[in-house]
Amino acid sequence: MVTLDFTLTPEASGRVHDALTCLSRFSDSVSLEARREKLTLVALNSSKSAYAAFSLDSNGFFSEYDFVPESGADGRFTCQILIKALLSVFKRRLFDTGGRETGIERCEVSVQDQPDQTECRLIVKMVCSHGVTKTYKLTYEVVEVMHALFDKHNSRNHWKISSGTLRSNIEYFGPKTEQLDMYYDDNRMVFTSFTEKIISHDREVLKQPLQTAISIPSDCFEEFRVQEKMHVTISVKDFKAIVSHAAMKNAHISAHYSRPTRPLQFSYGTDDYRCEFTLMTAGEYNVTAAPSVAHKVSSRSVSRNPSIPSERPNGATNGATSASQMPPPSRPNQREKPRSFGKNGRKPVAEDARDESPGLFVTQDEDDERTWQPPNFEDEEETLGWDASADNDAGFHPTFRDTATARAARQEAQGVEGFEGLAPTQRLSQIRGIW
Amino acid sequence: MRFKAGIQNINTFNKFTASLASLSPVAWVRLDETEVRFTVIPEQGTQVWSVLSIETIFEQYTIQSAADNVVNLEVPLPSLQRALKSALNATSANIRLTKKDGLPILCLTIVSTSNAPNQFSAFGSTASRDDGPSYDDSQISNVTDGLSRHRETIITQDIPVRVMSMANVQGIHEPRCREPDVYIVLPPLLQLKSISDRFTRLAMTSRASASGGGGTASSSSSGPKLEMSANMHGCLRLGIRTDAMNISSVWTKLSNPDLDPAVVEGGDEGVLQHPSTRMKELGDAEGRSEEGWATVRIDGRDWGKVMSVGRLAGRVIACFCHEHALILYVYLSNSDEDRDVSVLTYYVSSYSP
Repeated sequence: MVTLDFTLTPEASGRVHDALTCLSRFSDSVSLEARREKLTLVALNSSKSAYAAFSLDSNGFFSEYDFVPESGADGRFTCQILIKALLSVFKRRLFDTGGRETGIERCEVSVQDQPDQTECRLIVKMVCSHGVTKTYKLTYEVVEVMHALFDKHNSRNHWKISSGTLRSNIEYFGPKTEQLDMYYDDNRMVFTSFTEKIISHDREVLKQPLQTAISIPSDCFEEFRVQEKMHVTISVKDFKAIVSHAAMKNAHISAHYSRPTRPLQFSYGTDDYRCEFTLMTAGEYNVTAAPSVAHKVSSRSVSRNPSIPSERPNGATNGATSASQMPPPSRPNQREKPRSFGKNGRKPVAEDARDESPGLFVTQDEDDERTWQPPNFEDEEETLGWDASADNDAGFHPTFRDTATARAARQEAQGVEGFEGLAPTQRLSQIRGIW
Repeated sequence: MRFKAGIQNINTFNKFTASLASLSPVAWVRLDETEVRFTVIPEQGTQVWSVLSIETIFEQYTIQSAADNVVNLEVPLPSLQRALKSALNATSANIRLTKKDGLPILCLTIVSTSNAPNQFSAFGSTASRDDGPSYDDSQISNVTDGLSRHRETIITQDIPVRVMSMANVQGIHEPRCREPDVYIVLPPLLQLKSISDRFTRLAMTSRASASGGGGTASSSSSGPKLEMSANMHGCLRLGIRTDAMNISSVWTKLSNPDLDPAVVEGGDEGVLQHPSTRMKELGDAEGRSEEGWATVRIDGRDWGKVMSVGRLAGRVIACFCHEHALILYVYLSNSDEDRDVSVLTYYVSSYSP
């Protein structure tokens, strides 16, 4: 029997929300690993190429933390929960109220593992003001947690930069690009987003996404020791998720890596709240270019070969090796999906609708991009009317609807509706090349 | 084939691109020694033929090609817009046509000073850094320049394009249209857009509810039609008609620009014979009379995309060919004195009732 109880301040709960949002970019489910000294939230993506971990210190992060491991166990308690379920409990709007009272006084979380009760429940109590308490019971699954090991000592390439600098630049990466290449040359660190997809068909050329290169002078970095002319490639999506989260915390991101095809680690945070992301890298490693051009590399170990054997035994983030040691985490059972988040599914929709409210002569910001976008008539909910939230199909009472005439009228309209248009100066088929 | 230019008025260029991108994902861009033309011909809906003077968006403009220094390109507008967006806060931006891996690209090079907190300060930040680059003493006078150059973030955006041959473009012609019946300056597009969008939306919901929510509302061929009319006495009427309703808004006291005899065929006589001169005799300034209106029926969704040009905040003159077509001239400069020739021409078709 395990005891795990902890209490979070409203602020800490907000940070749990941010962590979960970030983890959700990597995986559908989050693993919790409780130890006496810390609670770790872990996500590993399905291809096991990216691992994200948030370590919350038992003293510094929680206002109360009580953990008694099962006797005979190795002092840990591990379980896995769907992130969506947790996010519906740790909702953004509960904590991000724009300076107003949060409405939450504290958040109490406990694990229910008693034999006389329903097993495997994580109980979250949101104690709100005015004596309101919301209790959520989430199902968890006991699984072993896989950790990516990372050997910082042999990762001689290192940089550190304010997340704000990266944040202002990552939005320029095209939405469809997949990979991010990092390259250092001529005192500049270059981040290039690209897609490997080779487009053979001439017509498809224009659909190829933008290739964006962002070159940041090494002076903008707080710490910088990187080997020149070495390409290291990671996923744009992972990088964006990490930078977005770090920027919320105004953190300074550190990167450690050795060479392509070896893991890379981004880390930031304080001792109370530590974020680590271990990503697999791709790229070709050109050995001949290595030691001679090494620039600002620490004097500790310039030669490359010794690092490889030492990395292998303890530094294996490689999916294959980890997987052979530990059973793969099984998917949480659909049937046991907690009821608590069913009702909350629509919430974001409502918020969006409020933002999109179309105005009739209302003051609108002329510079707002959205003002001038053509309206999306399909997706937007009609906000005019008394029953905007209701199903649009039932706009009128069904008894008033004479379906037969309506259909006839529609067919008639389609038949008669001729396209008169402009006097054709040419046939569409005469125009070559533009489509 | 060479094309190279600095981009000035990045904001204008960005808004211009965004306006076109709402109608079609690809534009035909024609560059020559005097002007830049962007043409958008969607498979269905409104065409845009625009001419920009070079200085509207470019500076230090170089163009060279074997075909009389004319370059024709097919450019994906969403990519161009995205690239320009990243240049909005730039200190400088350049564009050039080049090749990468054998494929033509438009390469945008954008220089911006990074806004990192540990940015260049006036107090020689290199002094505090032992691993920072050191500057040669002989270059002391250039130290400030050197430092700021070192603090610059450079973004390059490679936009894949296709080069069009002369044979490709020879067959593309601007639509021809008869002389319009009514000329009118449109009210601020923000007003017009919010009302027309509202009307379109209303018609779509009433249609959806009348037909039991069937698929009609989502098929673009039978989308709601806005009825737009104008007379030569400063009135514009926008309306929508469905089985369940008939709504319209009327603007009055708009201006009807005079025709310039110099550009009308037949000079003064041509103006006298012009359909718009005859329309002046009909109708009234209150818009009460049913006479003197030139009417077009336009697709509501398509119009929503056309109205996207309002972000450029230019003067818009609408030319109504009764029951035939609506042509919009969007001038980038608002003053009459300005000799800037930059104009976007929208050809909007009218549907029969």
